Amino acid sequence: AMAGTLEPHLEALRRELRAPDPAVLSVLLALLAVAITLLIWRFVQGRRSSRKAVLLLGLCDAGKTLLFARLLTGKYRNTQTSITDSSAVYRVSNDKSGIVTLIDLPGHESLRLQFLERFKAAARAIVFVVDSVAFQREVKDVAEFLYQVLVDSTVLKNAPALLIACNKQDVTMAKSAKLIQQQLEKELNTLRVTRSAAPTSLDGSATGGPAQLGKKGKDFDFSQLPMKVEFVECSARGSKGEEGDADFEDLEKWLAKIA
Amino acid sequence: MLDFFTIFSKGGLVLWCFQGVRGPAAAATAPVNALIRSVLLQERGGNNSFTHEALTLKYKLDNQFELVFVVGFQKILTLTYVDKLIDDVHKEFRDKYRNEFQQKGTLGLLNGTFDFKDDFMRLLRDAEESSKVRAPTVMKTFEQSLKSQKTVKCMIETRGEKPKEKVKNKKNKGSKKEGTEAVAAPGKASTGDKQSSAAGDREELTKDEILQKNREEFFKRHMKAGEKSSKSPKPEAQKEKGKKPRVWDLGNSNAKVLDYSNSTTNGSVEACPVEEFDPDIAVGDRNREPGRLYDLEYESDDEAEEEKVIQNPSKPSVKKGGLGGMFGMLKGLVGSKSLTREDMDPVLEKMKDHLIAKNVAAEIAVQLCESVAKKLEGKVMGTFTTVTSTVKQALQEALVQILQPQRRVDVLRDVMDAQRHRRPYVVTFCGVNGVGKSTNLAKISFWLIENGFSVLIAACDTFRAGAVEQLRTHTRRLNALHPPESHGGRTMVQLYEKGYGKDAAGIAMEAISYARNQGFDVVLVDTAGRMQDNAPLMTALAKLIAVNAPDLVLFVGEALVGNEAVDQLVKFNKALADHSMAQTPRLIDGIVLTKFDTIDDKVGAAISMTYITSKPIVFVGTGQTYCDLRSLNAKAVVAALMKA
Repeated sequence: AMAGTLEPHLEALRRELRAPDPAVLSVLLALLAVAITLLIWRFVQGRRSSRKAVLLLGLCDAGKTLLFARLLTGKYRNTQTSITDSSAVYRVSNDKSGIVTLIDLPGHESLRLQFLERFKAAARAIVFVVDSVAFQREVKDVAEFLYQVLVDSTVLKNAPALLIACNKQDVTMAKSAKLIQQQLEKELNTLRVTRSAAPTSLDGSATGGPAQLGKKGKDFDFSQLPMKVEFVECSARGSKGEEGDADFEDLEKWLAKIA
Repeated sequence: MLDFFTIFSKGGLVLWCFQGVRGPAAAATAPVNALIRSVLLQERGGNNSFTHEALTLKYKLDNQFELVFVVGFQKILTLTYVDKLIDDVHKEFRDKYRNEFQQKGTLGLLNGTFDFKDDFMRLLRDAEESSKVRAPTVMKTFEQSLKSQKTVKCMIETRGEKPKEKVKNKKNKGSKKEGTEAVAAPGKASTGDKQSSAAGDREELTKDEILQKNREEFFKRHMKAGEKSSKSPKPEAQKEKGKKPRVWDLGNSNAKVLDYSNSTTNGSVEACPVEEFDPDIAVGDRNREPGRLYDLEYESDDEAEEEKVIQNPSKPSVKKGGLGGMFGMLKGLVGSKSLTREDMDPVLEKMKDHLIAKNVAAEIAVQLCESVAKKLEGKVMGTFTTVTSTVKQALQEALVQILQPQRRVDVLRDVMDAQRHRRPYVVTFCGVNGVGKSTNLAKISFWLIENGFSVLIAACDTFRAGAVEQLRTHTRRLNALHPPESHGGRTMVQLYEKGYGKDAAGIAMEAISYARNQGFDVVLVDTAGRMQDNAPLMTALAKLIAVNAPDLVLFVGEALVGNEAVDQLVKFNKALADHSMAQTPRLIDGIVLTKFDTIDDKVGAAISMTYITSKPIVFVGTGQTYCDLRSLNAKAVVAALMKA
C-alpha cells in the first residue's frame, strides 16, 4: 500500500525536480520524513511486542502461585487462592541473559477465562500446571480447561510452546507424567467430539470453535498440535519440605530453552 | 481471643499471618479459601463478614495495593473491637510498607519480610482495652439515695389525718398497682403506723365496739371510694332482678325486614330510571368497521426517547460547570486519583437503575453494586480514565465472572460416562407452571438423538390435562425424524407413561429401572409445574428427587421473569434441601433459560438466576422448534446487558 501511494508522489517529484518549486519540494520532503518515521515506528513496535510472557495456567490448587514464588525467589511461601494475576521478570539462571516475564493467572473457574483473554496475545510460552495427586479425580476438569486453551484462536495462531508441569510429585500418590499424558490424550479425544456437538452459542459462534484439535479420523495425540508440547515432573514444595529447595530442574531447563 | 489474622495479596501470597489460639498455620488456609471462593469471587462482597463452620471471618480489601485483610474468631464470641482492629491494622500496615508496595511491585511482595508482629500485638491490646474501658455501672449506696435523706418524721401519720391518709393510700394502692417504691414505702410505713395506731385504739375501746367502729369506717370508706363506681353498678343491679330475654336488634325479625334491596328493580323496567345513554362515549370511534379487530397501534417514540436520554446526562455535567468544575474534571482525567465512595455513588446508582431496567432482580442489582463498590474503593485510577469508565469496567468484569460456570457444563461427556457404567443418565426438569419444561425437554431429546444417544421420556406430569398426550406427540415426531432404520434398528426415543393421577416419584423410579433393563442411555423426567409457595407440591417434588437421585436436576426458568426469579429459586432450593434425608442434599444443578427470543436485550434474568444459585445456565431455549436450543455465551449476554 505504501508503494502504491508512493508512485504518484514519485511522478510528481520527478516533475518537480525538473522544475523546482521550493514550497512543493519542502512539502514532499516533509511527507517522506513522516512516512519513514512511521515505518521505523511500526518496525520497533513489532520488535517490542514480541511476546515475552510465560503464562502459568492450571486449575485451582494446582500450585501455580507457589511455583511462581519458588522460581522467582527460591523460598517457600504460604499461599491462598489468587483473585488476580501477578507478574514479575524472571532472569534465567544461565550464562544466557534471557529474561522472560512470568505471569501467574488465577485458576478459579469464574476468573480463568477472563485473565486468559487478557494475556494470551502476549504469551510466548504456556506452563500448564497439573495437580498430579488429584489428577484422577479432576481429569475431566483439567482436560476441559486444556481444551479451551488449545482451541483458542489466538493460541492457535501464535502457537506458543506448551509445557505441562505435573506438580506435587513429592507426594507418594502422585501420578507420573507418562500416565497423565495418556489420560489427557484420551480425554481430549472424547472432548473433541462432545464439544463440537454442543449446542451453538447464542450469538451464532460455535462453542468448540471451527478449530479442530488434531487430525480428524485419528485418535488425538499431542504431537498433532501446531505447538511444541512437553511433559515434565516437578514439585514446588520440594521433597525436603518448606526449608529445602523445590525440585524443578526440568522446568528451569525448559524455561532457559524458550527464553 | 482471635483465632487468626492473615494479610495476603490478591495474587495469592500470604504476607503475614498471626495464629491466635489454634495450632498450625494450615488451619487458617481452608476457611480463608472458602471466604475467597464464596464471597469475593461470587460478588457477594456487600457485607464484610462470613461464617464458615465454627468461625466467623471478617475481611477488608485494600484496592490500592491489592491486599486482603482477614480476621477469624469463634462464631459464639461476639467481639466488638474487631472492626476497629481491622481498620487500624490496615492503616498501619499500609503506611509501614508503602514503599515495598509502590516501588518494587510483585518482587517486593515476594522478597519482603513483613515483620508486623509487634505492631499487631500492640494494636490488639489497644483494641481489647478500648472494648473493656466502660466498667459496669456501680450501684448507688444507701447513703447516696434520696430515701435516706427523708426524715422519719415526714413518714409518720398523725391520728387526725389517718382516714384521709388511709383513703388516699388505698386509692393509691388501687390505682397504682404496679406501685413505685415511693408509694410502697410510705404504704408500708402507713400500715406499720396503722397497726400501731389501731393498737393504741384498742386500749381505749372494747373489742366489740372496736369491731363495730372498724366496720363502719370500712363501709364509709368503701362508700366514699365506691361513690363514683357505685353509680354504674346500680342500674345493672336493678336490671338483673329478673332475667329478661335478650332482644337483638336484627335477630328474630324476618328476612323480609332485612331485605333492603329494592325487589322491584330486578327485571322490572319502570323501576330503573333510563339514563342518558350516549352511544358515542360507549362505542368510541364512530368510523370503525363493525366487527373488525384492529391492530395495536405502536408509535415509534424511539428517536424522541433517545434525545431525552442524551439530554439528561449532559444536564448534570453542565450544572457542574464553571471554572472550578472544569479544573476538577481535568484533574480527575489526568492525575492519579484514588476512588472514594462519594465519587462512585452517583455512577453506581445509575448503573443499578440501568441493571434493573434490564430486568435484573432489584435486590441482586443492589448487592452487585455494593460488591463492586467494595472492590473499587481506594483504587488508584490510571490517567485518562473517568470514574464512570472504571466503574463500568469493573461491573462488566463482575457480570462476566458471575456468568462463568463454576462447574463443568458438558452433558454429552457425562452421558458417555454413564454409558460406560451401563446405567442411564437421569435428568429431571422442574419449575413453575408454564415456563416450557415439556417443550425444552423435547428439544433436548432431539439434540441427544442427533448425537446418537437413545432417550426414554418419563411422563411424571400426572396432573395437567394433556401432558402425557403432548409428550406422546413429541415422541411420535422425533421417531419420524429419526426412524429406527437409520440408527441400526434401535428406537431412539420412547415414552414411559402410566396415565394421570398416579404418584410421580413411583413412575420415575419404574421408568429408570425400565431404561436400565432396555439399555436406554438417557432418561428425561418431566414433572408438573408447581408454584414455589405450594408446600405439599414442593414436598412431592423433593421426594421425587431424593428417592430417584437423578444425575442432573435442571430448573427451567423463563427469561421474562423479573424479581420472581429470586423467590422461585430460593424456595425450590430450600424445599429440596429440607426434605432430603442425605447429608449433602441434591440441589438444583443447572438452569435452563427459556423463551429467550421474547426478550430483546433485557437479559437480566440470566444474571439473577446464576447469582442466586451460583449454578450454570446449561441450555438456552430460543423458540419452539427442535433446533432452537443454544448454549450461553457469557460475553454476548453481558454486552447486551451493559449496552445503553
